[in-house]
Amino acid sequence: MISKENFSYATKNLMNRKLRSALTIISIFVGISTIFIFVSFGLGLFTYINDISSDIGTDKLIVQARGIGAPGSDDTFRLEESDIETLEKTRGVENAAAMAFTGAEVEKGDQTKYVYVVSLPVEDKDDLDLSMSLMTVDLMEGRNLDKGDDSRVVLGYRYTLENGVFRKPSGLGDKFTINDQDFTIVGIFEEIGNPSDDSNIYITEDAYKELTEDDNINYAMILAQVDDVSRIEEIRERAKKNMRKDRGLEEGKEDFFIQSAAQLIESFAIVLNIVVGFIILIAVISVVVSAINTANTMFTSILERTKEIGILKAIGAQNMEILTVFLLESSILGFLAGIIGIIVGVSLSYMGGVILDNLGWGFLKPSFPLVLFIGCLVFATLVGTISGMIPAFNASRQKPVDSLRYE
Amino acid sequence: MTHPVINLEKVWKIYKVGTKEVTALQGLSLKIEKGKFVSIQGPSGSGKSTAMNMVGCLDKPSKGRILLDGKDISQMSESRLAQIRGKKIGFIFQSFNLIPTLTAMENITLPMMFQGIPQDERIKRAKMLLEKVDLGDRLGHKPTELSGGQQQRVAIARALVNDPEVILADEPTGNLDSKTGVNVMEFLKKLHTEDNKTIVMVTHDPSLSRFADRVVYILDGKLTDKSKT
Repeated sequence: MISKENFSYATKNLMNRKLRSALTIISIFVGISTIFIFVSFGLGLFTYINDISSDIGTDKLIVQARGIGAPGSDDTFRLEESDIETLEKTRGVENAAAMAFTGAEVEKGDQTKYVYVVSLPVEDKDDLDLSMSLMTVDLMEGRNLDKGDDSRVVLGYRYTLENGVFRKPSGLGDKFTINDQDFTIVGIFEEIGNPSDDSNIYITEDAYKELTEDDNINYAMILAQVDDVSRIEEIRERAKKNMRKDRGLEEGKEDFFIQSAAQLIESFAIVLNIVVGFIILIAVISVVVSAINTANTMFTSILERTKEIGILKAIGAQNMEILTVFLLESSILGFLAGIIGIIVGVSLSYMGGVILDNLGWGFLKPSFPLVLFIGCLVFATLVGTISGMIPAFNASRQKPVDSLRYE
Repeated sequence: MTHPVINLEKVWKIYKVGTKEVTALQGLSLKIEKGKFVSIQGPSGSGKSTAMNMVGCLDKPSKGRILLDGKDISQMSESRLAQIRGKKIGFIFQSFNLIPTLTAMENITLPMMFQGIPQDERIKRAKMLLEKVDLGDRLGHKPTELSGGQQQRVAIARALVNDPEVILADEPTGNLDSKTGVNVMEFLKKLHTEDNKTIVMVTHDPSLSRFADRVVYILDGKLTDKSKT
């Protein structure tokens, strides 16, 4: 039975071995903190992915060319205007719009930077709306591009920051040059949360053609909206068949792939699960190692206190009381390690989140649900309790006469 | 005739050391009546400590019976024996055997805790007993802060807290100087005469015989003819 006295006796014993108790606690809490940090960031990322998936919507198909490197950067496999037309002709596809991007030299004042320039389909309002659904953010200032805005741009969020892309923040009406062509800023997007996307420059397709000196744009991706979400898989197969036919390819040898937005999100989530899961596995291994360390500490402690166990038995302690005292000691170690692990974990996750946000990686936000706190605390206490079980059982089974004789 | 509080009937204890068997007790029979002060004497290795462990329910015999207050305890479970030890027997050891991390007060309250005595009562009894052994001003001291004699007095107070029927003292003066040793023995004698406690003392010091009203000698695990019954 766990009584106040057992608890106070166990605490006293731990306090008498401060250094050893502290080292055991450290070995457990490092693992617990690691688990806490990665789970909190993992949960944050899942929340972010869920947000994106609800922003993009489930009624879209995403077509990308198979290739090496970033989508659209490999010229061997291309997605062109004709592919958009093929998709639009596919039964079940309501509309299709594409986006392309390329690296470009941007100059402002005396500074030159290399950033991505993204084309937007401004000729058709529906196409523009469709491609904007992939953006997941709204405009922060100004307006979006429109027909004939061939010397105007909309910028990513980082251009508004001092030293974001250029030294000085940019605002509406400011001018700069892209590959020696002059552009004026008409709009700025909200923060996406990663420095690369937040440094993009958005221009019209015509401006893009002029910039790349290529009338046939090689798109990075085509977005197709379907008319019936429940038949999205059937439409996807049909679109695939049509594109294959149009490109004269055999089945299974496609140089493109079509995914539903849900599949795309799911594949992100799977990768994320694997990465986070792997890191947590490493952290769990470190906790298992610390559990062995705790068991070792308890074995040593019991060996040192063999005589004490004999005395306790001589003055009336039953096996269960000895077992309780030693189990309490290891559980207290685990519990304290859990508390410290959580405090350290929260602090580091929070600080990490702030630092990442300042570096422009605002989407990497840790999440702190109550279940994470409770889970880590229970896990740490269980680690302590389980690692103390065998030593405590051994202690309780010692014969009093042998223990008393131990020097 | 007085009722025997402890009755050892043909008790054997055989230890296995590697492949060898060592016989520590060879059919030892001994009756200890209630209220007696018995000194068990014998040379080193004679089996007197083994006998003491049997009487104190710290060990079980290989053969034979041990009756405590008429009840056979030789085959009882370890938990049951712990209960009996806590309630009916008070131990005084040569090396005091106090828990070094606890204060005098905490050491004394420990046996009461195992008997489920409420905290208020524990503190009251512990204070009373520490006064009785002249250590009323040493409640909060840890064993290392006390002299040998003081530690043994704390141990005596601890042995008395549950008002046991039998006090078992294993070489109680072995670690004390002669003057302090005599003080401790006089205190035990007082317990015997004034509180009518049954005291069983194991010693190899023949000079302590004068405090006992019965002396038994053990040699090779058996009582010798010298034993006064």
